[in-house]
Amino acid sequence: MGLGFVIGVFGGLILAHAAYSTIQYRGLLKIVEEEFSGPPMNVVVELLLGLVFCMWAALTVPGKFLSILPHSEENRMVSLPANLDFMIFNHRGKVFPLEMDLKLKH
Amino acid sequence: MVSKTEETQLSNLESQVDNGGGGAWEYLCLVRKLKVRRSEKVLKHGLSILNDPKKRSSLGPDEWTLYDQVAVAAMDCQCLDVAKDCIKVLHKKFPESKRVGRLEALLFEAKGSWEEAEKAYSSLLEDNPLDQVIHKRRVAMAKAQGNMSGAIEWLNKYLEIFMADHDAWRELAEIYSSLQMYKQAAFCYEELILSQPMVPQYHLAYADVLYTLGGLENVQTAKKYYASTIELTGGKNTRALFGICLCSAAIGQLTKGRNKDDKESPELQSLAATALERDYKQRAPDKLSLLTTALKSLKVSL
Repeated sequence: MGLGFVIGVFGGLILAHAAYSTIQYRGLLKIVEEEFSGPPMNVVVELLLGLVFCMWAALTVPGKFLSILPHSEENRMVSLPANLDFMIFNHRGKVFPLEMDLKLKH
Repeated sequence: MVSKTEETQLSNLESQVDNGGGGAWEYLCLVRKLKVRRSEKVLKHGLSILNDPKKRSSLGPDEWTLYDQVAVAAMDCQCLDVAKDCIKVLHKKFPESKRVGRLEALLFEAKGSWEEAEKAYSSLLEDNPLDQVIHKRRVAMAKAQGNMSGAIEWLNKYLEIFMADHDAWRELAEIYSSLQMYKQAAFCYEELILSQPMVPQYHLAYADVLYTLGGLENVQTAKKYYASTIELTGGKNTRALFGICLCSAAIGQLTKGRNKDDKESPELQSLAATALERDYKQRAPDKLSLLTTALKSLKVSL
């Protein structure tokens, strides 16, 4: 969690730095009066690194992935809940009382 | 709904609590969340928390929920004194509460004094005529007295108002199938499948009812619903696998002597049989011979 978050922040910073260096590069191009043909190499590398870091952070920081398959272990229903709203008390438990001596003490 | 992971979690916690490993409160919370009926254990472990002042006060406001849970569990175990004490404590804390009033009426039910319970419920209903729980309790009371037709009548009246209540539909389906009124039960299960299409148990129960009804068309539909159960559970439901085998055998017998087009391919049956065999080999190897003879007898009749 902590590590993923730090890496995410780092990725964001790299992206910001890439934006800053692109602006600076265009300013430089204006001064030397050249056409803009493409971003410089270091900006491209920074963009790719930032993309990878941010993606990794976004996939790990929020938590575990949950399965959407109906037959996965988390989703596969093995039994219905006991219908407790309709629970009735005249069952075998009446004939076999508990052996324990239970009391609410206060 | 109880999923596989929750079931294992529950059984792990249960054995841990039973062996004195602690975690009683977590166990009770899980029981409440999954709505399973473990009254004896809830009573035992819940009382041990309630009788320990330090543990009880550490729960904070959840203490009252625990009193409620233990009271119902005690009624289910016929420990009426404990239930009465719990309700008394709750009554002292919440003198005007409807929920405590319902518990008191439930205690009358557990004692078997139906008339007093009925009186208590109807006075509660006067204050709030749309209290779903009380309407359901009336159905349960009729059922407990063996008055199944009365229960069906109440339940139908209730379902006219609260059509989206799938628990009530399930109860009605179970009552109908206990009375062997399978057509009506099938209707209820259709309703349940419509409202919760991802629950394999409803598909399975519907298929069971249709197979019991019999007739070529019903058995063919039952086979389809067994197949959908298998799809929803990833083939881990043994009952559905057996259902496929039985349905195929029944269809084979019903279409015997007809032309070939009516007969279905035996592929599904053999797939189900192999899945069953693999499952038995893995989990109960000593019962494998029973399975093979059963499957063989089905195939002979094909």
